[in-house]
Amino acid sequence: MASESGAKTVREEWGTRFGFLMAMLGGMVGSGNIWRMPYTTGQNGGGAFLLAYIVLLFVIAVPGLMAESALGSYTKRGVIGAFKKTYGRGWSEGFGLVVVLTTIALASYYMPIVGQVIYYTIHSFLLTFSQSGFESVPFWNAFTASPLLTIGTHTLAVALVAGVLLFGIRRGIERVVKWMIPLLVITLIVVAVRGLTLPGATEGLAFALTPDWEYLVRGQTWIAALGQALFSTGLGWGIALTFGSYLRKNDDIPLGAGIFTAIGNTSIGLLAIFTVFPVVFAFGLEPTAGAELTFISLVSVFPQMAGGSIWAILFFVGFFFAAFSTALVIIEVAVTTVAEETRLDRTQTVLAVCTVIWLLGIPSAYSASFLGTMDFMFGNWGLPLATLLIIGTVGWKVGPERLRVIELNRNADVHIGSWWDPVIKYVVPVVMVFIMAYYLVTNIAASTMQTVGGVVLMAVLLVGAVLVMRTVRRRGRPGVDAGGD
Amino acid sequence: MALSTAAWVVMVGSIGVLWVPAMWALFRTLRDEDRKLELLTEQGKIDTYSPGALAELREWIRTHPDDEYAPDARERYDDCVETLRDIDEPFYDWSDAEIEELRTLSE
Repeated sequence: MASESGAKTVREEWGTRFGFLMAMLGGMVGSGNIWRMPYTTGQNGGGAFLLAYIVLLFVIAVPGLMAESALGSYTKRGVIGAFKKTYGRGWSEGFGLVVVLTTIALASYYMPIVGQVIYYTIHSFLLTFSQSGFESVPFWNAFTASPLLTIGTHTLAVALVAGVLLFGIRRGIERVVKWMIPLLVITLIVVAVRGLTLPGATEGLAFALTPDWEYLVRGQTWIAALGQALFSTGLGWGIALTFGSYLRKNDDIPLGAGIFTAIGNTSIGLLAIFTVFPVVFAFGLEPTAGAELTFISLVSVFPQMAGGSIWAILFFVGFFFAAFSTALVIIEVAVTTVAEETRLDRTQTVLAVCTVIWLLGIPSAYSASFLGTMDFMFGNWGLPLATLLIIGTVGWKVGPERLRVIELNRNADVHIGSWWDPVIKYVVPVVMVFIMAYYLVTNIAASTMQTVGGVVLMAVLLVGAVLVMRTVRRRGRPGVDAGGD
Repeated sequence: MALSTAAWVVMVGSIGVLWVPAMWALFRTLRDEDRKLELLTEQGKIDTYSPGALAELREWIRTHPDDEYAPDARERYDDCVETLRDIDEPFYDWSDAEIEELRTLSE
């Protein structure tokens, strides 16, 4: 471990174990759980996909989340600080900068989506969807065609997130997610119960769950399952590392940060299948409509249900909780790191980071195609690169055995054996390299410019971040630890 | 349309493989936290490694004496041994005989 000359940080800690668990879950459970998991399952062989997904979840996501959380818990630093403590001061801190910039980019195009959810949630309370003559397509088109609405709701979403983050880890994030996540689960259960009682609802379950075992031997099924397992759990995005750094002295990592959060997130994805698909099939909607499923299809059928206004409110409140909690958690990754690495206090950091995200998010709020391009570039290469940097650091610099015997099994509720070491050293990094190469090969012909642009952007990001950190450290401007509150 | 047997199996299996372990993990970890807090309140400190984990740590220290992480590992090892000697009730399943046999690295 490289020595550090920085001042000792007085860090915040989670107030309760439940708060930490809900924050981890909140970061993972996002809008993708509501619309992506169900149709991905249905499209890829139903039960066969679920089997592949569960295997990959246990083999890659659970061990990976343990590694990332343990790195944060051991270093007690945010992303850049963790790299600094692991490699020493200098160019390698650029790896941490890449992770932070990737999460900022992710947040910039995620916030407009949160804004959309807020807009629809407000209208569900205004009973707009139940008014006579309401049509979901013109409503959606009117929203997306109005910069005032798209940028306005994006602004509102960023402002709400900033408002919570200003209160810090314990009084802000923890206080909010402790209520939001249980309520999200409750709303999904209530809507699922209603959906399952609709005529024709079982067709939705049949579509999503009937196993087509031929899919198990198709590479595409495993790729889809891998993508879902990685992106749904947020492995390597700096979330588990950041939140692990706020763990208390006697907190466990393997059971809470690894097993519960990964499986809990997937459990909510399964609940979303029971919530969304019965309604989709009961009303003959297109199950593979993607995000439109939520903003166009479901909105059009709620009024047709008895007590439709109530179901719409419940659904969109749950959807808002999922999207908003994820936004909170993603932005906290940047806030923690910037607070540690600069002379800004938490309030200044939250305002600065949220302002940057708001500005970067305006193009995505204004243009759906720009948002799609950002998602394409960062989803396909930025996030896997961040994962590779974090897990690769644990696997090849810290060493999985060292981290496991010293940190991971300390205060552990379940003991992690030596099987974990090769998974972190070889399996996860190889999978990340594979998935980036796979996305490159499969996209290069269909969208050459975007693919080349994405790969070049990530290369520039990586090299640029390393050079920036090297230059900054050579000038001898040490960061001032000011994390926490 | 009735669900096929295979779909039922997948549904029940998924719930069994996902929801049951998730609920078990949640209750187990929250129960353990309560227990840790109870012991911390009573004793001021608790043991940090299980018998298996501490044995692994000791073995790692023995095989990596000059590792850059070794000083931290030694400190954590000794801290756990001293804590086990000081407290009346350990969190992990330590027997009195096992605790009696433990030695700090300097002993």
